[in-house]
Amino acid sequence: MRDASDRHSVNDARLAAIWAGLDATDDGIFVWSAERVLVFINEGFRRNWDLPVCAGMNYEEYASLIAHSQEWMIPGGPDERLQNTLNNFGVATDADYECASGHIVHVRQRPSAQGGMVVTFTDVTAIKRNERELREAKEAAEAMDEAKSRFLRAANHDLRQPLASLKILIYSCVREQDDEKRAEMLHAMGVATSIMEDLLGALLQIGQLDAGRVQPRITSFQLSELFERLHIQFNHQASEKGLRLRFVAPSKTVATDRALLERILSNFVGNAIRFTELGGVLVGCRKEGHGLRINVIDTGRGIRQEDFGRIFEEFYRVTDNNQIQKKGLGLGLNIAKRLADLLELPIGLRSEVGSGSTFSVWVPLGNIWHSNISAEVDISETVAGEFAGIPMLLIEDDDFLRESMTQLLRRWGIDVHAAANEDEALELVADGEIVPRMIIADYNLEVRTGPDVIAAIRAATGEETPAIIVTADAEPRVIAGIREAGIPVLIKPVSPPRLRVMMHNLLFEPDLLKSADI
Amino acid sequence: MDDRSKPVPIGSMVPLTGPSAADGAEFRNGMILACEELNARGGLFGRPFQPIFADTCRQTAKEVVTAARWLIEKHQVHAIINGYNIGAQNSEYEPIADAGIIYVHANTLLQHHDTVMSDPQRYFGCFMADPAEYWYGPGFIKFLSWLRDTGQWIPKSDRIAIISGSTPYSIVIANAMANSAASFGWKVCFGPKIVQTPTSQWRDVIEEVRASDPAVLANTHFYAGDLAYFQRQFVENPIDCLVYLQYGAVHRTFTDIAQEASVGVIVSSIVGLLRDEMGKRFEERYTARFGSGSTASIGCQSYSNMHHYAVAAAMAGGSGAPGNFEQNRKVAFALRGMIYRTVHGTIRYHPDWQAVVPYPVVTRDPSLGMPHIFYQIQDLKERLSMIAPEPYNTERFVYPPWMSKGAPRRL
Repeated sequence: MRDASDRHSVNDARLAAIWAGLDATDDGIFVWSAERVLVFINEGFRRNWDLPVCAGMNYEEYASLIAHSQEWMIPGGPDERLQNTLNNFGVATDADYECASGHIVHVRQRPSAQGGMVVTFTDVTAIKRNERELREAKEAAEAMDEAKSRFLRAANHDLRQPLASLKILIYSCVREQDDEKRAEMLHAMGVATSIMEDLLGALLQIGQLDAGRVQPRITSFQLSELFERLHIQFNHQASEKGLRLRFVAPSKTVATDRALLERILSNFVGNAIRFTELGGVLVGCRKEGHGLRINVIDTGRGIRQEDFGRIFEEFYRVTDNNQIQKKGLGLGLNIAKRLADLLELPIGLRSEVGSGSTFSVWVPLGNIWHSNISAEVDISETVAGEFAGIPMLLIEDDDFLRESMTQLLRRWGIDVHAAANEDEALELVADGEIVPRMIIADYNLEVRTGPDVIAAIRAATGEETPAIIVTADAEPRVIAGIREAGIPVLIKPVSPPRLRVMMHNLLFEPDLLKSADI
Repeated sequence: MDDRSKPVPIGSMVPLTGPSAADGAEFRNGMILACEELNARGGLFGRPFQPIFADTCRQTAKEVVTAARWLIEKHQVHAIINGYNIGAQNSEYEPIADAGIIYVHANTLLQHHDTVMSDPQRYFGCFMADPAEYWYGPGFIKFLSWLRDTGQWIPKSDRIAIISGSTPYSIVIANAMANSAASFGWKVCFGPKIVQTPTSQWRDVIEEVRASDPAVLANTHFYAGDLAYFQRQFVENPIDCLVYLQYGAVHRTFTDIAQEASVGVIVSSIVGLLRDEMGKRFEERYTARFGSGSTASIGCQSYSNMHHYAVAAAMAGGSGAPGNFEQNRKVAFALRGMIYRTVHGTIRYHPDWQAVVPYPVVTRDPSLGMPHIFYQIQDLKERLSMIAPEPYNTERFVYPPWMSKGAPRRL
């Protein structure tokens, strides 16, 4: 009986070489005698599998150990596993087992000529992982291929009609002499183009959904901003049809993917406007459980009960006898449904033929403390700095200085209007469109001085606009002259903090002006 | 004296006189307590920290820059660590950047972001240990919406009136409030109206606000005394609305002057001492050292900044005198990389802004941001009630005595 541990007692060199060879392999090897006794275990098994087996063990003991082991995930209960193992002695079998460590082991059992058997244990984790990855890649490629085919079929199906119309319209338009008819044709061409645009947009969304490329990003946000965006998007369309479009924004925080919810709602609203001829569309919310149900209510033609199930299917269109209006694409509601499924948001539909429909989606309430102030979390002085939005006139004849000063002031949120000389400055304020709240002027401006230009601007606007002179001329007489004119002065190169302090004091705290002179 | 036991000079620019003198005294206390504690544990590799104070008076640019130069040139300070100095508009960054030393302050100014990001190499050592004042705006709007959405308060309308003081700090907060109001379903019905401050005369502007009939009135001026007069004049003929007063109203001076009129007022701070075990123990030590008239919730700012600096200097292997850019860059690196939990929350510097990130308005994780705490004055004899945000709040909002009360509802 051989165990790897008693190898040193073997004198036969050839036999020793065989044992060493069997030990060197990474596969585990057991040899069982016809008497069901374990006569050999190699080192490969000990290195790779942590099971307390030893040479001399009988098969019943081994079967019990395997059946009750928590290390190997073998199907069935312990009793069943024990019986199966016992029954399988000497039978040729092949099976893969997952270990608790996550490894996958292939166990191959073969009968020996003397009535015993050999069992080998091979770690196939890497092979199986590769197989799985290949399978997934293949499935993804097939899904992509299917999506592409559907895209092409749909494009072929739905783009043909507007393209054909466009071709005819272009042909006719080239020859048409009558301006009015030409205008009509151009309008029709515009409609055909917008249909194609809508269609391509929708198909792209479907394609992304098919390819699993849409990854939701759940955040907490206020619905009011989203409603405002939808209002801007659809108001014109509704007005053109003479429909009232109203959004009643709730003051509540919801938690879902902001962009995807907007796409769901925009499909609902677009659909409602498309199928409503009289009345209007109302978008509002109702509290339902720990969430809000967002309702898009229209006064359109309504949907038959029997169509409720199919209306969310791809390319499904409600029978439409009205040929005047732009056809629906049959994709919007499918997109909405699929996005809602992705976000796990239940969609609802209530409708009555002739009275209108209500499409709805339920969204969970979010934590207001977690909601973003806006989509962009980063802040700067252009958003809410003390100078944000303040109109200023900058007069500097050096191109480089004018540009760098403009950049600095804009970073502080100032609405800078830059001029190279007096004429340009006067032109800027001439029509009253720009009413500067502050003037910064260079002292030496070609033929004029800064104080002269400031005086001219003040005369033109009729306002005693606060002003600052910047100068490279540090001559005390010049500085004194500017100060005598009641204008504060900064010496070039201008220190941004000093400029900021002076601007603040001039605009908001004139009494502090003296102490700012550092 | 051996170089290895020579004190490490640390500058501190504090308004010991002028309108913010009450805060200045607390900032000084905080520095003293921190240095005493650090020195008792061996200082910086055996060298004691020696705080040197420069009075910034009215905190004008001239006064603050003069203080910075005095500390650097005369005392060769390795760092300047203090609370806030409003009004310098970052002018003091120039001598500090020229000297290449560390500057940790609580100026609460948005322009810090702009200055640091305009030249990160030059301003490597400038750190703002509290969030920019900007965050007061959206933080307040969220707080209001939270009160509304949880049914603790039923606003009579969606109208907000905003009065601002004339400092950049107050104007930025007022602008930020106005900018974020609409996103949460609020309308700005008045202002932001900038009032020349300091002032104790508020009756005219209160009358203007009355005409707009708001559900909320926010005053972003922050001098405790001025705000106390505002509140006294408000309650003479109150408007049926919530009143929010900027930071200064957390100060004892406010309640001392406003007395009963202060009950019901809401006030907030983006640097507030927490009431957990850590905060309580600090408060006990602080009061034991400086007496019952001292305010630990203000002194904690400079205290924490000093402790944080000391840990960073130790991590960097020592501090650096003016001109030792190399060593101070190591200290700055340690400050930037360290998440430091202190008695008023977490100091974690934004990698670009070099300013602390606020919770919950920027980070949702309380362990990664400094909490913007909302208080309400509910009982003059008791400390301020901490009513938001979770998980730090210890009390609930109550209707101010001048307001009509709708039936509270819960969602």
